[in-house]
Parts: sequence; C-alpha cells; structure tokens
Amino acid sequence: MKLRKLLRDNFSLSDLFILPVCAVFLYPFYFLVISTFKTLREVSYNPTAFPTSLYLGNYVEVFEKTPILQAFRNTFTLTLCSVLLIVVIGEMAAYPIAFNPNKFNNAMLVYLMLGFLVPFQAILLSLFEVMQTLRLLDSLPGMIAFYANGSALTVFLAVGYMRSIPRELNEAAIVDGAGPARIFFQIIFPLMKSITTTSIIFNTMWIWNDFIAPNIFLNSRTNTTLVLEVFRAKGQFTTNWPIFMTLSVVTIFPIFIFYCFMQKHIIKGLTAGAVKG
Amino acid sequence: MKKGRILRQMQYEVFLLPAILAFTAFTVIPLLKTLVYSFTDFDGVLHTYNFVGLRNYFAVFRDDVMKQALFNTLFYTFFVVLLINVISVPLAVCLDKNQRVKTLERAIFFFPSVVSALLLGYIWSYILSPLKTGALNSILGSLFGIKPIGFTSGGWIAKFSIIAVAVWANTGWHTMVNIAYLQAIDPTYYEAAAIDGATRFDQFRFITIPLLAPALTVNTLLLLTNGLKVYDLPYALTKGGPGYSNYTVTQIIIQRGISERQYGVSTALAAIFILLVMIIAVIQYTTMSKREVDA
Repeated sequence: MKLRKLLRDNFSLSDLFILPVCAVFLYPFYFLVISTFKTLREVSYNPTAFPTSLYLGNYVEVFEKTPILQAFRNTFTLTLCSVLLIVVIGEMAAYPIAFNPNKFNNAMLVYLMLGFLVPFQAILLSLFEVMQTLRLLDSLPGMIAFYANGSALTVFLAVGYMRSIPRELNEAAIVDGAGPARIFFQIIFPLMKSITTTSIIFNTMWIWNDFIAPNIFLNSRTNTTLVLEVFRAKGQFTTNWPIFMTLSVVTIFPIFIFYCFMQKHIIKGLTAGAVKG
Repeated sequence: MKKGRILRQMQYEVFLLPAILAFTAFTVIPLLKTLVYSFTDFDGVLHTYNFVGLRNYFAVFRDDVMKQALFNTLFYTFFVVLLINVISVPLAVCLDKNQRVKTLERAIFFFPSVVSALLLGYIWSYILSPLKTGALNSILGSLFGIKPIGFTSGGWIAKFSIIAVAVWANTGWHTMVNIAYLQAIDPTYYEAAAIDGATRFDQFRFITIPLLAPALTVNTLLLLTNGLKVYDLPYALTKGGPGYSNYTVTQIIIQRGISERQYGVSTALAAIFILLVMIIAVIQYTTMSKREVDA
C-alpha cells in the first residue's frame, strides 16, 4: 500500500517509456566515459564493453601531452572577461535608450539590433582583415574585444526590462542631484538582476563552447582554448581514441559540475530569453 | 540653461559609446566590406581591385559545391525544424509535472545543450563510425550479425546521421521552451474541460496545442536561424564529407574564402546567405512582436 503511494507520488505512467529513452539518450556520454578507462587495444577489440580494469593511463597522458590546464585557464579568462564586458556594455547601452528616449537613441537601438540579423560566419573574411588591421589576431584581449560586440541580445532584453522600471525613479534621482553614471551603477544596474543572470548564462554557453572564432583568430598554442584542444586532439590522436575521449571528459567535467549545481538557474535563464514575460 | 541640458544629454549618450564602437568595428564594418567585395575581383592579396558587377553572384550558381552546400543546409534545417517540433511537444507534455523524477529527466534531456556542439559531433563520429569497431556497428553486429553500416560514409545516410545527432543535441532545449509556455497555461481550462467530459487526448488537441502555438513559433524560428548557420556539428561528424557531399553554407564560405582565397565568390555567397538569414530573422521579429500586441 505504502509502496503504491510512493510510486504514484513520484512516477507517472509515461516514465515507463521516458526513463528507458533517457538511458538511450545518455548512451553517448556513457560510451565516452567508459572509453577513457580502456587501453587502445581494449577499445578496438571491444568498443562497447564495460572496462575490464580501471586503467588511468589515459588521464596521465592527457595531462602530460596536452596543455589542457593552460587551455582551461585561457577559456576561463576569456569567458569571464567577455561575459562581464558584454553585460556591462549591453546594459549601459540600454540605459539612455530606455530612460532618455529620443529619435537618435531609437535609431541606435535599431542599429544595435542589426546584430541579430548578421550571421557572423558570413562576415568572417572581412572580420579577419579588421582584426588584422587592429592587431588583435592571436591575442586573448583581441578575442575579448571581439566578443564584446555580441551584446545585441543583452541590449534587447535590458531595454525591455528597463522600460518596465518606473521612470520617476530616474527623475527623482536626478532631482536629488545624482549624475547619470551614479544613477545607472548605483540604482538601475542592481535592479537588473534577472536580465543580468539570463545574459550571463546565454553568453557563457556561447563563448565557452565557441569553436569557429577561436579556431580562426587564435593560432598559437599558448592561446589555446578547451574546444580548440578537443579539435587539435581529434587530429593528433586520430588513431588513439581513448586519449581523445579522455580529453573530452576532462573538458566536459567542469561544465558538468557547474550544470549539476546551477541546473535550475541555467534552464530558467536560457528559456527566459525565448519566453518574453 | 540650454547648455546644461545638452551636457546632460551628452552624459547619457556616453553610455551608448562602448556598445556602438564594438559593434561598428566587429560587425558593421566587416559586413560592409563583405558586401563591397562581393561586387569586385578582390583576391585578398593585392590591394587594388575592380568592380565586376554581378559576376561573383553568377559564379555562385555555377559552383557545384556551393549549390550542394546550399541544398544541404536547407535540407538539414527543414528536417531538424520538423523533427524537433514533432518530438519536443509531446515530450514537454510528459515532462511538465512537479515530480522529482521529471526534474531529473528534464535535466538529462537538457544536458547536451550545455556541451560544445563540436565535442558532441566528435563523440557521435566514434559511435557512428562506419568501421566494425564503431560502437553502433559493433552493437548491431553482435545483436543481428549484420555487416557494418556506413552511417557517416555515404552521402545520403550521412545527411540523416547529421540530422539525427542534431535532433538528439537540441531537442532538450526546445522541450524546455515548450514547458515554460505550458506552465503559463491556466489550469482551470483543463479542469473545465474535464468536467465537460473531454478526454486527455481532447484536452491535448483542443487546449494544449492551440495555447502552445506561440512556443512553436519561437522554436521554429530559432531552429530556422540556427539551422541555417550550422557549422560545428556536421563538421565534427563528417568534415563535410564524404567528398563535398555534406558541406554546409558556412563551411564552404570559410573554405573558399580563407583557405582558397576566392574572395569574390565566397563573399557573394555570404551576401546571399546574409539576405536569407535576415529575411527569416525579420519574420521572426515581426511575428514575435505582433504576438506581444495581441497578448
């Protein structure tokens, strides 16, 4: 009787179907993880079997043969700085558009929204030239400067949110003698928490996992990123795939931990961008 | 007095400066350059170039690989949009309950969305490897004793492998968008329908589907624009192969332009591509804002 209630409270009929689907769905990750504990011979002899012993040699080799820690540091710095810049720049740009609407500011909003329309892959060649002229190629600060132009989504969300903040708030602060800079950073910016979270999550997912831009703009190994190391490893260890798989696990691991703790916020933040409240 | 107002205005405009500067330098200028190059014989090396009218645009349609890439991208986008919509709606309905196990299931389906598409493509390239040691072939071999199938080595079968992996990778995200909209539906509709004797299927057909229409619009248009821009996943799975049979538009733009230095034809294709994405994005924006007016 008790068991029945327990079952009814926690499971639905659909779970009979969905749980097995989940298992199949997760299979690629299971396959990935078991491959890392096998030797090359074991993997080619029986690719899908559970490892016969806990072989850790692949992990040792990954840390010895690839600059994976350097890649992690670079990816982390790149993502952190770029996301911060995007959020601050984007919300700053939204401030005059929302609180000081005039023809010029409306035109600027339309101008910035062009960012949604231009696929960056299509302008890559000319972008490469621009980066070359500005001497931003193969440099992390250069990449950060480039990523900082991707604030269209943040501006869009921030303008929408700021328009719902009563304008009297801004005017009262002006009457009290505060300048725009102080009003923005001390009053408006702290009110934007939900937009800031959504924007941080969206941009972190994009920049952390970006492949084309780093692949074209960052050449030297000292400026490598995690995704670039995965790309290089695929070429370097074509025949030795346990090593490649191990490198992949090492790069997924931090995301996985982050995902486990932040899952609710990540899903909410990512879908909030699509669902306009 | 007037001077003070101008000064105040200027203080506001300063806030726009960083965003405008960055966007102009890294999007608008490259965009304009791309458009100019598409009408010239610029080769990326010499700094002198001549205007050649629409010659590059005609060249796009004489370039068989480009036509193939355009077809592949449209084919991929069509099936990914269709399949993900068809799968994510019923899945969302099943997962839209406040039970522990549902939360776990949602987290599982969503997880591929946070991993790089390149990496996902590579993992699948091992699973779908046409060799006997490919995971799927080895499973099929031991279960049914059949010969290895070339999941990524045949032009057409590789197209469907790419689509299948893309559906696997993106369904979770779009299911979550559906769930977010489902949770906004007033539960009294269902109660009223149940009192009137509507079956669960009737409720799904006459309440859920119509009220989920905005989610379908959002998902479709996001899938459309992302599908047209796709690069990482097909590249990781087959490298555009076998041969040129699975190149995407973005891949051929990069290859012709950066590796082969055929600036003219590459930028012409890019211009066509930008126009295509723009049209779809404008439709996306207008339908979304129209919905806001209705709401």
